[in-house]
Amino acid sequence: MSQTKIPVDLILNRLAESTEEVKEKVQRASEVLLGSLETDISQTPHEIVYQEDRVKVKYYRPEKIKHKIPLLVVYALINRETMLDLQPGRSVIRNFLESGLEVYMIDWGYPKRKDQFVTIDDHVNGYMDNIIDFVRKKHNLSKINLMGICMGGSFCVMYSALHPEKIKNLVTTVTPTNFDTDKGLLHIWMKNTLAEEMGPTYGNMPADIMNLGFLLLNPARLIIDKYIGFFENMDNKKFVENFVRMEKWIFDSPDVPAATFKQFIEDCYKKNLLIQSKLELNGKRVDLKKITMPLLNFYGKYDHLVPPEACNLLTQKVGSQDTEDICLDTGHIGIYVSSKCQKEFTPKISKWLKQREGDEITEPATKTQPKKKKSTKSHRKNSRQTPKKRLSINKGQGEKR
Amino acid sequence: MEQQPDQNQEKEAMDMTKMFSMWLKATINFWENMPRMKPDESAMFNLFTNQPKGTPHQAQQTWDRGTKIAGALVSMLSEPENLDAMFKATDAVPEFIMKISQQVWEGYFEAQKNWTERAVRIGKHEKAYNFDDLDQETFKTLRDIYEKEFQRYFYIPQIGLTRFYQERANTAIDKYNIFQTALSEFIYMFYVPMEKSAMVMQEKIKDMVEKGEISDNYKEYYSMWIKILEGHYMKLLQSPEYTQVMNKTIHSLVAYRSARDEMMYDILKNLPIPTNREMDELYKEFYELKKKVRELSRKVEEQK
Repeated sequence: MSQTKIPVDLILNRLAESTEEVKEKVQRASEVLLGSLETDISQTPHEIVYQEDRVKVKYYRPEKIKHKIPLLVVYALINRETMLDLQPGRSVIRNFLESGLEVYMIDWGYPKRKDQFVTIDDHVNGYMDNIIDFVRKKHNLSKINLMGICMGGSFCVMYSALHPEKIKNLVTTVTPTNFDTDKGLLHIWMKNTLAEEMGPTYGNMPADIMNLGFLLLNPARLIIDKYIGFFENMDNKKFVENFVRMEKWIFDSPDVPAATFKQFIEDCYKKNLLIQSKLELNGKRVDLKKITMPLLNFYGKYDHLVPPEACNLLTQKVGSQDTEDICLDTGHIGIYVSSKCQKEFTPKISKWLKQREGDEITEPATKTQPKKKKSTKSHRKNSRQTPKKRLSINKGQGEKR
Repeated sequence: MEQQPDQNQEKEAMDMTKMFSMWLKATINFWENMPRMKPDESAMFNLFTNQPKGTPHQAQQTWDRGTKIAGALVSMLSEPENLDAMFKATDAVPEFIMKISQQVWEGYFEAQKNWTERAVRIGKHEKAYNFDDLDQETFKTLRDIYEKEFQRYFYIPQIGLTRFYQERANTAIDKYNIFQTALSEFIYMFYVPMEKSAMVMQEKIKDMVEKGEISDNYKEYYSMWIKILEGHYMKLLQSPEYTQVMNKTIHSLVAYRSARDEMMYDILKNLPIPTNREMDELYKEFYELKKKVRELSRKVEEQK
């Protein structure tokens, strides 16, 4: 029986080389970390055009306006809208501006203890409705374009069903509407735990606890491997800048008002009322059949927070016949921050909105009729099948959610 | 001759009684007359007040009443039959102390016996849950022991003026203990994949050594390990056991925080600062008012 040869000499040589490499890397890293780093996020110029309580609206004006109807972006209550404008090369906002689209974006602010009683209804029929009225009035339009992100997308779906006369086109991105799935860990956990109890106990649902929960979705990658990756690349200035920007965004999390959190968990995650058109906001039923405007629905194939199964039923349930599903080969955040998706995501939305502008700029809201059914549902199958390439983004970055 | 010692004892007792009676009387006389030793006895009591001269002060009246009562008691005690009874009572004291001590020690030994029995039961719990499978059962056993044997001490009915405060404090301690147990189990769950991954890695490396496929690049081992670890975590996080433990941790955290807040409200009540409970009530009123104002404003706008 022959004895296996263990290349001890090679291993030792390699270790010696690595030690030398590490020494040099640490020297370079100290220069990078002690030097000036550009890590600011949300740098695109904007002005605050509306404020109500803690809620603000940011207005981004393109150099040349090429779209007749502006777009209102509604972010989730978890984390902040700055994700859409992380840095010049990775900015959904900048891309929209370059396409000549005027963008309004809601900044939900940081809810305090006094906001604990604010419900989903207050967000949708209160803040959102006031903001949409403000934008409509400012542009003298009966309808505007609406785009929602994650939980913000769910709010947009609710709003569009309750106020279809004010929405020209609806874009939903990584938006959970069907919660009856066991594909994502969040769905499993939310259904089987009493997480909603935490809100009233803490006043609001603490962001740090939610962030801890998100980290626990994949501890090996998000708590260990991500930071190993950072140490391996900390002599790379560009990498460090991007990493720090992402860290800033990830851990800049507002608390979620207790009443909203509770309602979202109970009515959506546990009872799955939204997709069944059974959800009620202040006594008004959210009937998805009343969503008659064109709908563009994006989601990520590898999204472990809002899996495709949580998103792709929406287009079948709404009243609109002009719908389109687009499944990108990426995760929850990759859609917005990966450079590859930047090339597909925003140009598609701009083009899609432009095609649906029509001549209805000053059309009175009360006379709004559903457009003649123009079925583009056939796109759905194709678009689900076409994107096959995996996006290449920094390991551990952007794919957190 | 035989009665001689008794007679001596009786005589000694009589002398003692007389002496004690005289001492008592002298003491009372001293305290009765002490305030009168001053030229103006009321001045002693009126030193810090503006009461008119000659008017007996309230403290003086109390003093007089006290010395009179004490005098009456002494006179009564000085009666031979009372003095005799008093001395007999003094004789009974050691017996009384003995009885009390006996009761206390018996109670103590009984309590100790109970504790020992409980300790034995703890041992029985261990046996019942089989500590051979220590990792899986430890937390369950600890929780069980705590709930069955110790928790009840925090729920002994409290009595008296501070009963509610004590109850709340006890509840907070109990909930804290439960939360700590749940948290330990939760943290332990996250350690299990680490342990399992290390075992898998050992096996893999052994196989590699046997096949002569040892790599000289340590990064390969790290990549292999992190992949295995991720797999173990995914399996764990999707399991009903994990969800159950997570839910238990959340639930116990919520219960502990609520109990702790209740206790804190008792403390804060005495300080000149508003509590969260008071502020929450205010916030709710504020929220409802604001909502009403918005609704009315909207209606007014519609009317225009």
